[in-house]
Amino acid sequence: MNTAVKLDSSMDISNYSEKVLLNNPFENFKLENYKYAQLHKNISSDVSLEHYEIDLSSISSIKNLELSDALDIDLHSYLNKWNYKNTDSYFRVNSISERSSIKIDLDLFEEEILHLDLSLFKENIQINKVNELQKTIIINSSNFSDHIPRSIILNLSKNANLNVIHYSISNSKSFLYFEINQQNNSNVKFITFQSDNIHTRNEFFSSLEENCSLDLYGLNIHNHGVNDNYSFIQHMKPSSQSREVFKSIVNNGAVTNFQGKIYVDPVAQKTDGYQMSRSLILDNDSKANNKPELEIYADDVKCSHGSTVSKLNQDQVYYFKSRGINEEQALKILQKAFLVETLEAIENSQIKEYSYNLLEMRL
Amino acid sequence: MEKNLLDLDVDERANSGLFLAFQYPMEIPGVQTSFFLKTAINSKRKFLGLPEVDALEFAKLIRSQAEDLGISSEMLKRDLNVNYSGGEKKKQEILQMSILKPDMAILDETDSGLDIDALRIVSEGVNKLRSEQNSFLVITHYQRLLNYIKPDYVHIIADGRIVKSGDFTLALELEEKGYEDISKIAS
Repeated sequence: MNTAVKLDSSMDISNYSEKVLLNNPFENFKLENYKYAQLHKNISSDVSLEHYEIDLSSISSIKNLELSDALDIDLHSYLNKWNYKNTDSYFRVNSISERSSIKIDLDLFEEEILHLDLSLFKENIQINKVNELQKTIIINSSNFSDHIPRSIILNLSKNANLNVIHYSISNSKSFLYFEINQQNNSNVKFITFQSDNIHTRNEFFSSLEENCSLDLYGLNIHNHGVNDNYSFIQHMKPSSQSREVFKSIVNNGAVTNFQGKIYVDPVAQKTDGYQMSRSLILDNDSKANNKPELEIYADDVKCSHGSTVSKLNQDQVYYFKSRGINEEQALKILQKAFLVETLEAIENSQIKEYSYNLLEMRL
Repeated sequence: MEKNLLDLDVDERANSGLFLAFQYPMEIPGVQTSFFLKTAINSKRKFLGLPEVDALEFAKLIRSQAEDLGISSEMLKRDLNVNYSGGEKKKQEILQMSILKPDMAILDETDSGLDIDALRIVSEGVNKLRSEQNSFLVITHYQRLLNYIKPDYVHIIADGRIVKSGDFTLALELEEKGYEDISKIAS
C-alpha cells in the first residue's frame, strides 16, 4: 500500500523527493489534499493551446537575475512552521530539491510595477519585500509543459505592502507552490487569473503574523483537463484578516477543483477569516469540486466560508431575452457578472483593463 | 409585415415590440442597471437595423426617464434589481418599458407590493407612454390601479378563459359585487 510519506527532520529529503518524483510520480491520490488534483494521471487534451504573451508595454520586465548565493529556502522549515497535517506539500519538497533558487529584492527596483516572466527562468523564485512602499508584481506562468513543481516564495517584512497579479494561461502542465510569509502589519493582495489550461495545480500557503491582511482572489475559466487550486492560510498571531474568493467557470468537459483551509492558531485571537468558492458549470460533461475547510483553535474569532456549485440561472437568461438581449449575449454578460468581483480587486487601472480584455476574449 | 409571435424566440418577440413587466423581476448581481438598459436598447436597435445609441444621447434619455419615475442616478449604478425594494423593482420595470417603447406591453400584477405613491408614479409612467399606436394589457386583482390607468376594455378571466368583457364600468361593478356572480357564469 502506498501511504503518505511523513517528513521529519531526520529524513533525507533528497531521497524522499526522488522517490516521489521518479519512482512513483505523484502517486498521491489517496491523500486528501491531492485526491482531486489527479497528479498520478497523465492528463492531456487534443486541444492545441495558443501561445500567450503579456502585452503590457509600459511595464518593465525582470531579467538577468543571478542565482542567489545562499539558499534562503529552508528544506526543514515545514515541521516548525506549517500546521499542515500528515504530509508536507509535495510541491514544496519537490520544487526545492529539484531546482535551485533565485532571490529578488523588490525594493532594489525603482519601478512601481514589475513583470516577472517565469518562462525566463527555470529556478524557484524567492521575492522579498522589506519596506512600506507599495509595489505590484505581475507573475506570468504561461505556456508551460513542465511536470516538476516550482516554488514562488513571497516574504514580507513588517509593514510591507505588495500586490501580486498572477497570469496562468495556456499551460499543458504547470504545478506551482506559492508561499506567502507575512510579518506584522504587512498587506498582500494576490489575484490569480487562470485560463486555457490542461493540467494545473496552484498551491497557496500563507502564514500571517499580527495585524496583517491577505486578499486572495482566483478566477478560473475556459480550461480543459483538470485544474486545481489549493490554499492553506494560517493565522499564527492575533488580529489579522484573510479574505479569499475563488470563482470558476467550467465547460468543455473540464474539471476544476478548489480546496482551501483557514487555520487559526490558539493565540490568534481576533482573527477575521473569510473564504468563498463558487463554481459555475456550463454543460453536462464538466465537473467542479469545492471543499472549504476551517480549523480553529482560538475562541474569539470571526471566520466564515461559503461554497456554491451551480448552473447558469435560466430565469435570469429569460429576463435578458425578455428585454431583447439574445441568449449568446446574455450568457456572456452573466458569466462576466459572476467573475467580476475577482477582477475588481485589481487596483492598477491599466492591469485591470488588460485583465478584463483578456476575460472578454474568453467568454 | 405579419409575423407569428409564437414562432419567434423570446428576444425576437421583445425586439418586435412586445414587453412583459414581471411581477417578480429577476435580481442580476454583477450587472449594473445602466449597462443592462444600454445593452437592451442596443439589442433592439440592432434588430431594427439602427446603429448603436450614442453614449451622450443614452445618458440624457435614461436620466430624464429615470427622473420622472423617481429613480436616482445612484440607483442606476447599482446591480440590477439587487437589494431593490418591491416598489423600486416595479419602477425599474416601467423604466425599461419607457426606454424600449414597446407596441404591446403586458403588465403582470405590477401593482402588487406597491405603496400609494409608488402606484401613482408607476401609473403615470404607463399613461405617459400610452398612445394610439400602442396597447397595454394590465393584469390586476384590484380596482385601485384602474383609478390611475383607465382601461379601454376590461376582461374578466376565470379558470383560464375570458368569462366577461366590458368597459371600465365592469371593473367598478366587480369592485362592488365581488367575483361571486362571475363565478356562477364561469361554472
